Amino acid sequence: MVYNNKNRWFDYAIFGLTVFLIFCLLFEQYIELPSVVAWLGRWHPMVLHFPIVLLLIVLFLGLTGRPIPRSLFVVAVLSALVTAISGFFLGTESDSKGELLVWHQWMGAGVALISVFWYTLDGVGLGQKFYSKALQIVLIVLIGFTGHYGGMVTHGEDFLALPLNKKRKAIPENPMIFADVVNPILDQNCVACHNPNKKKGSLLMTSWASLLKGGESGKTILVGDSGNSELIRRLLLPLDDEEHMPPDGKKPLSPDEIKILERWIALGASDTVRLDQLAPEESLVGLVKNLMEPDPLVKWADLPKVADSTLQNLDSDYVTIERVSGNSQALRIDVYLPPVYDAKAITDLKRIGSNIVELDLSGLPIGVEEMAFVASCANLEWLELDRTPITDAEVEMLRNLKQLRMLKIYNTKIGDQSAAVLKEMENLKRVYLWETGLSSAALVELKLKRPNVLIDTGIDEETKAFFVATDTIAKIEDK
Amino acid sequence: MANDKKNNESPLKVNRRHFFSQLSVGIGSLALGSLLIPDLFKSDTESLSSMPLGIPHFAPKAKRIIYLFQAGAPSQLETFDHKPTLRKRMGEDLPESIRNGQRLTGMTSEQKTFPLMPPAVEFHQHGKSGAWISDFFPHIAKIADEICIIKSMHTEAINHDPAITFFQTGSQISGRPSMGSWMSYGLGSENKNLPSFVVLTSRGKGNSQGLYSKLWSSGFLDSKHQGVLLRSGKDPVLYLNDPDGISRSDKRHLLDQVSSLNKLHHVETGDDEIESRIAQYEMAYRMQMSVPDVMDVSKEPESIIKLYGEDCQVPGTYAANALQARRLAENGVRFIQLYHQGWDQHGNLHNEMAGQAKDVDQASAALIMDLKQRGMLEDTLVIWGGEFGRTNYCQGKFDPKNYGRDHHPRAFSIFMAGGGVKPGITYGETDEFGYNIIENPVHINDFHATLMYAMGLDHEQLTYKYQGRRFRLTDVAGNVINDLIA
Ligand code: HEC
Repeated sequence: MVYNNKNRWFDYAIFGLTVFLIFCLLFEQYIELPSVVAWLGRWHPMVLHFPIVLLLIVLFLGLTGRPIPRSLFVVAVLSALVTAISGFFLGTESDSKGELLVWHQWMGAGVALISVFWYTLDGVGLGQKFYSKALQIVLIVLIGFTGHYGGMVTHGEDFLALPLNKKRKAIPENPMIFADVVNPILDQNCVACHNPNKKKGSLLMTSWASLLKGGESGKTILVGDSGNSELIRRLLLPLDDEEHMPPDGKKPLSPDEIKILERWIALGASDTVRLDQLAPEESLVGLVKNLMEPDPLVKWADLPKVADSTLQNLDSDYVTIERVSGNSQALRIDVYLPPVYDAKAITDLKRIGSNIVELDLSGLPIGVEEMAFVASCANLEWLELDRTPITDAEVEMLRNLKQLRMLKIYNTKIGDQSAAVLKEMENLKRVYLWETGLSSAALVELKLKRPNVLIDTGIDEETKAFFVATDTIAKIEDK
Repeated sequence: MANDKKNNESPLKVNRRHFFSQLSVGIGSLALGSLLIPDLFKSDTESLSSMPLGIPHFAPKAKRIIYLFQAGAPSQLETFDHKPTLRKRMGEDLPESIRNGQRLTGMTSEQKTFPLMPPAVEFHQHGKSGAWISDFFPHIAKIADEICIIKSMHTEAINHDPAITFFQTGSQISGRPSMGSWMSYGLGSENKNLPSFVVLTSRGKGNSQGLYSKLWSSGFLDSKHQGVLLRSGKDPVLYLNDPDGISRSDKRHLLDQVSSLNKLHHVETGDDEIESRIAQYEMAYRMQMSVPDVMDVSKEPESIIKLYGEDCQVPGTYAANALQARRLAENGVRFIQLYHQGWDQHGNLHNEMAGQAKDVDQASAALIMDLKQRGMLEDTLVIWGGEFGRTNYCQGKFDPKNYGRDHHPRAFSIFMAGGGVKPGITYGETDEFGYNIIENPVHINDFHATLMYAMGLDHEQLTYKYQGRRFRLTDVAGNVINDLIA
């Protein structure tokens, strides 16, 4: 390749910028940039796209052994240098560089310097040598990593994580309010911009201590006073307000999430308090409990599709089939006693068995056949079998209903053996079983074994006695 | 738009001239429209209002409502709003700064002074929640931790008829569908053998106001959503029984014949109202069996009778209706509306309220406990309350022995239980005179929006187009009060 005078000027520019970049990197600590220069750094996010594209084109030509237009090569290398330098300027704006940013900075500088080196080799006709090729491959890898780290700096570390992994972790029983409830909210919505790599407003939200420390404008959380806390104020601003958090059309927090943060701060922003230490009428309790309930529509999203026409065919005067809501595939079924009862009305529902999440068979003369069907509805969560002729044998058949949350079996002939089945239903939350053959000993044991299950054994004796004994108006004393 | 009456768009209703005139304009405007608005022909399947009717918009907290309406407006100052200040300042004139221009009814507008009146009964705190409940209601007090008291209801209406119409239909002016009809329209029926909206009435000895069937009318909605009044006695639903000498199989035969004629007519005209008529004949036929069955309380065990009080065996009493309400709820009726008349205490407040409270206290509390033990409080919302509140000053001349209270729309109390509402809380607060709300006001539109939310309906999406305008139960207002939802 022949050198002409025009090319020489470009070479001088490349040489000069390279020296400047190396100087910057070496003497980083000693450099105090004037604000205009720092402003130049703001162009980094825009110019960075040029070297990525141009270098990749040049690399493609180089690796496939095609001639590289010299002018293209010059522009690519120049843009890489400019990008690296502007990035350096931008970096000086953040007061402490996180790990991600340091990596991004050195790899970005590496991309620029290696491309300069390769440009020089190519200039002296060594472009097709094997070590030059190796250099080109290193460059490709480095561009990829630099871009990825840059992306993580701007968008948060889990930006490219699979959506599956992003799902909020299930909240454990009796959760810590900060660690299990508040922190995940911040993690999901705020930490992308308020972390060591990207400390917007000098506010760090990665730990309880840093959160309480506050940012630029001082404390953002006033313990016990959510109304005057900067953090809450920003969440409550109108969406189009510049200061609203999270900014720029990012998904705002839900009203419930904001209320959780508010109440947490109002109650002292503690990092040790647990759910059961709060007063029951405290609104935070309800909010947290709501979060703990898995969103049913998400849970039911995997149910098989069932057509409206199928439902219409199975629906009859005494069998009501409804979708639980909107277009959900989850079904609720109520069966009422027809003048002439036939088990078929129920067993016919087998086709849609796995879609049924709520089933009401109360008061029906059901037998083994119907119970076999019930036992096959694997996704049942709500089952009403009260006032039916079931016995222990039928309850035994329910053992495999792993999703069951609510069970009504009051007013039946079941006995102590049923308690053993109930003990093992993991997801069971509430069971109604008064007027059954269960002995009080079995009930006491069941309550002991399953302290978190509401076991309703009917209206308590004291209340009952009060209702029987007390005439509504005791005695009106004349004032 | 999916909610509009379909038969207006029946293809068979279009004649040839109509067809061509529409076609020429139609094709041109379609082309223009699609040029100007590229999204014109995209369907918005996401929109809730395009969802089919008869299905909740989102997973509901409650599947049915039992509304224990206390017609005539019980005084909040003798039920749930404890105001000791009124006792301390008895006889003093209500400060003008508090009354602040509030409109008066015709009954007190001539009054020169407004002497404050003490609560006619003592209050005590009850349950773990420490809710203040008056001694008129010992049974409700006993179950204080099950209920959610709202002390900050308010309305604009000041006379009974507009006020109760507002509560039941979302408008002070008659003619709109009742809330039960809206629920039936939005959610369909749970049991096809019973109406989805049922009304039961009873009457106490206190001063009463009329109840009119317009309160449970379906207004412009399909008449199948209308409330059905169940009467006490041997004929719970009028005109349901067969005439003497007609057997059930004769009736069946008759229905089949009528139905086939109707079907022919439907094929000719495509009018959906005909199908709806066929369906209603069939339902009436099934109701001949199902209604007497539901209404028959003879199988209720002694313990239940004791719970509701002996009165529940006397047809037509509030207690009997409360027990009936549970049986109807068990059988899948969506909206069960009770009215108990006699709460209009313009005078003789102490004695009348004592009597009224005796009528309803035990049975209301028993209903809630009975629903609870059956697991039905999980998905049944119970509401107790009247159409407005009562003044803190006395109507007529000052006499601490025998006084009354006038109508007061600015603040009054109701309570709810079950159906996804937080138990054991008291919501909202009034000033020390019990006259103005100082915290968390709940307007009737908010109340409706919240009930609909509990039932899985978005009050802004459930609309019906009538005379060129889309109507909602909440008209153009209403916010869901999330703090009430558990
Ligand atoms: C897209 C990036 C981004 C996200 C996401 C984000 N913030 Fe910010 N935040 C900023 C920027 C930029 C500033 C500094 C500018 C300003 O004060 O408005 C800031 C400043 C703040 C401040 C003021 C700090 C101080 O002391 O001045 C608070 C408080 C705050 N953010 C809270 C939050 C909360 C809470 C969230 C999560 C709901 C959040 N931010 C999410 C970018 C973000």
